[in-house]
Amino acid sequence: MTMSEVFIDGKRYEFEGQPQLLQFILDLGLEVPFFCYHPSMTAPANCRQCMVKVGSPVKDRETGEYELDDEGNRVIRWFPKLQTSCNTVIADGMVVQTQESDELVQRAQKDTLEFILANHPLDCPICDQAGECPLQIQTYKYGPEGSRFEVKKVHKPKHVQLGPRVTLDAERCINCTRCVRFTDEISKSHQLTIVERGDKNYPVTAPGRSFDDPYSLNTVDICPVGALTSTDFRFKARVWEMNQTPSIDITNGKGCNIDLWTRDNLVLRITPRFHPEVNDYWMPDAGREAYQLFNENRVSHPAQKLESEQVSASWNHALETLAEQLEQTDRKDVLFIGSPHASVEENFALMQLANLTGAKTPVFTPHVEEGSGDGFLLSDDQAPNAEGCRLLGLEEVSPKQMQTKVSEARLIVALNDNLFGRGVLDATHAKNAFWVVFASNHTETTQMADLLIPITTAAEHAASYVNVDSRIQRTFPAKETKYSNRRLSMEMSEGRLDRFGTSFDNWVTEDHKIDCVPFWDFATQAGERLGLNLHLIDGRQIMDQIATMNPAFEGVSYVTMDEQGGIVLAKESMAKSK
Amino acid sequence: MTYEFTKEDLDRIESIKKEYPEVKATTLQVLWVAQDRFGHVDADVQRLVAATLELPEAHVHGVASFYTQYYKQKMGKHVLDVCTCLSCQLCGGYDILNHLEKKLGIKAGETTKDGMFSLQQVECLGACGYAPMLQVTNGEFVNHLTEEKVDHLLDKLRNGEDPEHEMMEMPLRKQKENP
Repeated sequence: MTMSEVFIDGKRYEFEGQPQLLQFILDLGLEVPFFCYHPSMTAPANCRQCMVKVGSPVKDRETGEYELDDEGNRVIRWFPKLQTSCNTVIADGMVVQTQESDELVQRAQKDTLEFILANHPLDCPICDQAGECPLQIQTYKYGPEGSRFEVKKVHKPKHVQLGPRVTLDAERCINCTRCVRFTDEISKSHQLTIVERGDKNYPVTAPGRSFDDPYSLNTVDICPVGALTSTDFRFKARVWEMNQTPSIDITNGKGCNIDLWTRDNLVLRITPRFHPEVNDYWMPDAGREAYQLFNENRVSHPAQKLESEQVSASWNHALETLAEQLEQTDRKDVLFIGSPHASVEENFALMQLANLTGAKTPVFTPHVEEGSGDGFLLSDDQAPNAEGCRLLGLEEVSPKQMQTKVSEARLIVALNDNLFGRGVLDATHAKNAFWVVFASNHTETTQMADLLIPITTAAEHAASYVNVDSRIQRTFPAKETKYSNRRLSMEMSEGRLDRFGTSFDNWVTEDHKIDCVPFWDFATQAGERLGLNLHLIDGRQIMDQIATMNPAFEGVSYVTMDEQGGIVLAKESMAKSK
Repeated sequence: MTYEFTKEDLDRIESIKKEYPEVKATTLQVLWVAQDRFGHVDADVQRLVAATLELPEAHVHGVASFYTQYYKQKMGKHVLDVCTCLSCQLCGGYDILNHLEKKLGIKAGETTKDGMFSLQQVECLGACGYAPMLQVTNGEFVNHLTEEKVDHLLDKLRNGEDPEHEMMEMPLRKQKENP
């Protein structure tokens, strides 16, 4: 049997199954404009923008052969009207003409846009969506030059606070119902509906109800206009002035794929990045608030406690203090504490430092809050890398065991984990020891530190995290630190302002660079000072080391991770090596 | 304010449910049951309907807001929908509306203090042949209005009588019958 065929704009393509026409066209890398269609949701075909001309070949009923015209071409029976391609199922032999080859389709798309724009305020200059707005882009590409609607536009509610995180501008809405379908089909909170009718309609919650869906901000992402905007990000920055860097959500164990949007070394917003096996197009609202972690309350420059007060100390001083403490403390009394909140590479560096100084294997306590997960994109596990710590071979201990171990230790080297803030430890456990804390943000734990050393966050280094489903995924550096340079670092992407901005431009300053280093940098320097054989350059090289040393990570490298969208690590290989 | 369906209403809703393959489809009918009982379907009544049918509140709100026949706020005992669309306008629809406004002492869109009448200005009700006309509480049409006829209607309604049903002849049929 031959493959089924379809002719799009005169070219023949083969297909299997029953693909939807619009998705098939998009998958080919071709384009038909659309607003309401979304690949993860049902297609109601209500925006009418994806009109194409569709026809079927005429078959002789008796012989089953295609009827041919005088020139030997198949006779095509065109559908009486243009079809919306989003909900048209492709049939064998179907002939499709898009706006590329048919004037009627071009005209239909142009006129549809004219209708869609009839009551659209066209306030692009002050609209947050401008620059990434399908309506704006498609109006440029396929829209009319002007409008024949010269009457006053319909006015609707503006800046409606739909919920704690989403603001509605009903005038901009084109009633594609993507947001309503999102709450019906994806988050299943059923909180939104379209009210009123005709040109007065817009999406809103039931009266007196708040749009407090834990996934509400996804509706802002899929809104094809500026109707739904993020209350938090509203009016903060133009999209073309920001730089977009792929990363991983570190606020829970699911490891949603995300993009960090930075400008002038501040993370301004976080949006989900498509990954079919992890988070599809979505992410929880909680993960978006992590931008504050990257910008605010950061530990910048080392500090040492003198008479119960932390004072600024030089990097050399910090290095020397750590080395002295490691040298003068009995190996048995040293406790290294790893962190499920830190990356695989950082925990590995800690392990190496512990092993080479002859201390015991680092311990860690998972950060699990039972019942906070929902089986979708929120997990009970509040840390991004508990699985990574297990696979590396760190010793997993309960909070009780951690308390005992901490009470017994004389020197504690702790990696980025707010053990005091999340209720594992309290001040009574910490009295005996000298605390060296590596941390990115000021917390209850950093207040306990006798020596506080600032380290980079997921937004400043390339490092990997193993999610609750054992998938290892990695981040890219998005923000510069005092010691990294966007131009020289081949791993960092550059936005327009990063590349061409000067200190005479708005939004270009040196102010937001944190005085911190990646943990492995500091560990390597400490190793050098102590005469240890420790060579950790960057995440990429560390991962290669881990891959050769630890069977659980066999075959894992940044290249394979990037190619395959993360790698699912087999838990069995770890069990075998044990 | 909290509302509750009576046993009778709930029985009626159960029998409506049996007529449809799924519960979502009964929303319209059950909103009518609610409006018959409470005289309106405001936010609280919409919530009651949603809870009774176990449907999302947002869905019920969307349906209720789509149709003008569902009253989203408390209305008078009788709602007078005066048509001022083209045909009625040309035949004096506004005169009727103004007369009613003066007579009832309220503006269109308002309800009299005694809660007896609500007055609304509406678009075409599909009775252009008998213009000007008005509709009483989603029910009877009162056609070929004059000020006297309106006064008579108000008296009737105040006395608790129903407006009488007017049989309207199709003009074309008449021609055929008398060639």
